Amino acid sequence: MALGDEVLRMERVGKRYPMGDTVVDALVDASFVLSEGEAVAILGPSGSGKSTLMHLLGFLDSPSSGEILFEGRPVAALTERQRARVRAEKIGFVFQAFNLLPRLTVRANVALPLAYLGHPPPDAEARVDRALALVGMSNRAHHKPGELSGGQRQRVAIARALVNEPRILLADEPTGNLDTKTAAAILELFQELNRQGRTIVVVTHSPEIAGHFRRQLHVLDGRVAEKGAAS
Amino acid sequence: MRPLLSGLVNGFAEIWGHKLRSLLTISCVMLGVASLVVTTGFMEGFFDNWETSLQEQGGIEKISSLAQGVKERQAPFAAVSPGLTPADALALAALAPQIAVISPEIEASRPKLSRGARTYDRRRGARVQGVTNAIFEINRFEVASGRMFSDLDMHDHADVIIIGTRVRDALFAPGEEALGALIDVNDRPFRVIGVLRNYERFWGTYNTLDSKNEVAFVPLTTMAAKIQRSDRLSFLNMKAADVTRLRETVDTASNVLAQTHRGIIDFDVRTSEEQLASYASTKAGFVIGGGAIAGISLLVSGIGIMNLMLASINERVREIGIRKAIGATPLDIFSQFVAEAVTLSLLGGLVGVALAVVAIQGLAAVIPPGSAPVLAPSAFVVGFVFSVTSGVLAGIYPAAKAAKLDPIEALRYE
Ligand SMILES: Nc1ncnc2c1ncn2[C@@H]1O[C@H](COP(=O)(O)OP(=O)(O)OP(=O)(O)O)[C@@H](O)[C@H]1O
Ligand SMILES: [Mg+2]
Repeated sequence: MALGDEVLRMERVGKRYPMGDTVVDALVDASFVLSEGEAVAILGPSGSGKSTLMHLLGFLDSPSSGEILFEGRPVAALTERQRARVRAEKIGFVFQAFNLLPRLTVRANVALPLAYLGHPPPDAEARVDRALALVGMSNRAHHKPGELSGGQRQRVAIARALVNEPRILLADEPTGNLDTKTAAAILELFQELNRQGRTIVVVTHSPEIAGHFRRQLHVLDGRVAEKGAAS
Repeated sequence: MRPLLSGLVNGFAEIWGHKLRSLLTISCVMLGVASLVVTTGFMEGFFDNWETSLQEQGGIEKISSLAQGVKERQAPFAAVSPGLTPADALALAALAPQIAVISPEIEASRPKLSRGARTYDRRRGARVQGVTNAIFEINRFEVASGRMFSDLDMHDHADVIIIGTRVRDALFAPGEEALGALIDVNDRPFRVIGVLRNYERFWGTYNTLDSKNEVAFVPLTTMAAKIQRSDRLSFLNMKAADVTRLRETVDTASNVLAQTHRGIIDFDVRTSEEQLASYASTKAGFVIGGGAIAGISLLVSGIGIMNLMLASINERVREIGIRKAIGATPLDIFSQFVAEAVTLSLLGGLVGVALAVVAIQGLAAVIPPGSAPVLAPSAFVVGFVFSVTSGVLAGIYPAAKAAKLDPIEALRYE
């Protein structure tokens, strides 16, 4: 797949949560295309629907209306098993809440996605080492997540998302808990990955961070709007 | 293989994470398996014994006929019949080809066995029988030292005798050579030409085969002419050539005997089918009973495992969501939890079998050989199959429940 080809397409996607008598429209008529090799920042106030959008992009949730296409195929037509395979092989997800497994060591957490590849790579160990080194967590490989700071956990979560060398990296506020220096380092890492051809979507509250991305999407009350496709 | 292996590793980690809870569950399986293996061991021991003693009595191909009182309506003519005699054996040999071996036997009434000052305790009643060599085949006797009867012995009404080990032990000092020595039957000297094998099969302290050691055989002709002074047979035992045609063989034998007895039914022809049937039905009963016990223990340990798995899954909804989010398929999750359940039950099974081995060996040391349970290989198979089955069965429902979880709902779970 060449640079610039369509990877993900949202067509009038809506997500509606029933809340007793009323409903919450977390996402309304979102339509946009994500192309190969893009770096996108998603901005928006708290509760605007950013995480909801990210979950839909990662096939974790299904839309209430509209259609999502992955590599031209409707995601709704995939079986759960096929969706899981795509997640394992092509998508790396960094959760807002880290979502590490507390009983496993840092190393085992990072290695986890490798177990769900159709064919585990022969260089699995080396990949885990590389991912840990990338986020500067090699010296904590044998600790449990509970023994780490918030920022450290976030870095482990990033390492886990990278270990499968995914085509698409979806990160929900990956720098939210980091100091400016570490945040800058992570950001630099993402940009390096993007230069290597990976598609990257990052949620952030910070306009300054968003400024580093070529494309920005603004979410407000569930509506997605393109802002300045500049640079 | 891979998800199974990592599932097992994960299973161990989970078990370790909940030591007490896992221990209780493992104990359920362990006790179930252990009691099952020990029970199986007892049953094996019991039926082994019974089967051997059935075999030693001649097996199912044996047919016995013996004298019996005639029915009332034939009573006035009873004297017409010559009774069961060696002539019947000749008639059967000539007319009933379905019979492979025929053994006419005359049993001495109240025989006295002695040798000098030594006498065989008459209350124990050694059986002294006049026989032909057919007895060895039909009642499964074996001459351990010496020889069987020769044609000449039969023809000459020779005063020779073959004795069982109990008789030898009563009449001879330990180590003393019996072969060639003279012993007295009703004060008439007989030369010992053979000693039978010693038969042993203990049921507790009781040797179920001891009656096979309390015998002495003399030639049929000698018995008729010199001891019993009558050629009336006590038994006429036969062996069917083809067991599958046992019924037909019995009918033929009855017909031949009815002929030679001039229509007077003063004999009875029977097989060991009844004994066999009771053996079979008892065994079937035990197997059903054992099966029920096994089923109940299976259920109990299955419930234990399922309970643990459900609790564990409730606690790990978030973990399941995370695993799914990073690419686990429903099948991956399913096999993970089944593997955990199997790990639990397998551990319980292994400990249970080990416990059973210790228990069986302990019991074998206390209980005399024979009635003690035996360590049958089948018991291990039963224990293994039992634990894996209960693990898989009890794991399926919770694992399916886990596999069905919606990842985003699971991730939101606090
Ligand atoms: N399961 C749910 N049930 C009902 N409402 C929901 C559910 N999940 C999200 N929402 C609502 O959808 C809206 C968008 O939520 P979302 O988590 O996408 O916000 P966000 O932009 O990620 O916010 P933040 O920056 O605080 O993480 C919110 O109003 C939230 O209350
Ligand atoms: Mg959010």
